[in-house]
Amino acid sequence: MSKTDDTKLIERCVHGDREAFEALLVEYEKPVYNAAFRMLNNRDDARDVTQTVFLKVFQNFAQFDPSRRFFSWIYRITLNESINWLGKENRLEPLLHEAADDGKGPDEEVESDRVSAEVQAALMTLSTDYRTVVILKHFLGCSYVEISNILEIPEKTVKSRLYTARQQLRDALSGLN
Amino acid sequence: MAIEQKFSDLINADLDGEISAAEKAELQAFLDENAEGQALHDELASLYSTLEAVEQEEPPTFMRHIIMNSVPPARDTEESPGFLQILLATPALKYAATFAAGVVLALSIVNSDQISNQAFDSVTGLVGTVADPVQANLESSFALNEPDIAGTVSLRSAGSLLILDFDLVSTDYIEIEAAYSDRTIWFNGFAQLESDDTTVSAETGLVRLGMEGKRRYAVYLQNQGGRETTVNLSFKVDGDVVHESELDYAPTD
Repeated sequence: MSKTDDTKLIERCVHGDREAFEALLVEYEKPVYNAAFRMLNNRDDARDVTQTVFLKVFQNFAQFDPSRRFFSWIYRITLNESINWLGKENRLEPLLHEAADDGKGPDEEVESDRVSAEVQAALMTLSTDYRTVVILKHFLGCSYVEISNILEIPEKTVKSRLYTARQQLRDALSGLN
Repeated sequence: MAIEQKFSDLINADLDGEISAAEKAELQAFLDENAEGQALHDELASLYSTLEAVEQEEPPTFMRHIIMNSVPPARDTEESPGFLQILLATPALKYAATFAAGVVLALSIVNSDQISNQAFDSVTGLVGTVADPVQANLESSFALNEPDIAGTVSLRSAGSLLILDFDLVSTDYIEIEAAYSDRTIWFNGFAQLESDDTTVSAETGLVRLGMEGKRRYAVYLQNQGGRETTVNLSFKVDGDVVHESELDYAPTD
């Protein structure tokens, strides 16, 4: 969705337009849910965080800076909520992948689930700083500049964290294999 | 021999698609003459491929409903008067803030063969939500105008969810049975507005409800297979059937 489209929808949301909010929800629920899931490694927690994120977004539209991109704002909220969730719950991060019923055939499901499980297990070995940049880059498709804006860190730091995170991911995946 | 940081950065930038033409040429020249650099490039490219092979997770189908039903209604939306409003000239229904999932759970009896991991997880999530779900398609509905009970009942669908939406008023205690023969459908939640004294219990293929007075509530069924189905509704007063109707769901391709 373009910045113009987002901005128009947000203007309507500020005035309590539920249809506009739903349009944003339809557009962003999947990336938000996936980011939360990759951060938390738990579907129920990801669902709860996603709900919290959208409610916060709805309640705080008036505070949104229209000079920024909406996705930067909502992704930042998502990652912060996920990190808060991890801290609040003080939970142990499970390495086991949850089974998913996604309608795929047995062979396809086994292979894609295996890859997903291995990547998720490797992701969970990273610190939240490193996991965050990997999720933004590889699962949400953000550029260096966009990650820099979302996390409010210098672009150089983004690159540095990404490089280190990839090394650690590579090592973790090698260990799993 | 360690790879110079500059080229390590260029390798990452190349794979990220954030490299200029000049940098790309410089990197290529380096890779052509440096086996270690090429090996790093190949390893990282393999990592990228692995990450790209991870499929996106689909959010739960009911999550959008929960979110939409959690946000306040639009301030400038004019609600058309419903049957009950006309009938009783009462104020518009408002969400009951104190509805407790525990009440539902305590009142619900579910056969063990019907319980799934999703079944009651959703009850908690659906508390506070009810009918008029956003992006739910109206499949079928009927109106009642009996001496003992009046109002409307509709069947809506949203993904694999079927939502029975009850908007009723009764003079006495009414028992309602919603029966469905498809055993792949299971009771997945219940929510009500303004009151908390509608009773609900569920077993395989059947949901029983008890109510009196003006009530607005919704029963959520999980139709995982998305199959065509019919819900048979029976309304009883003192054990006598006072009304029977069917609600049909037919998936659209």
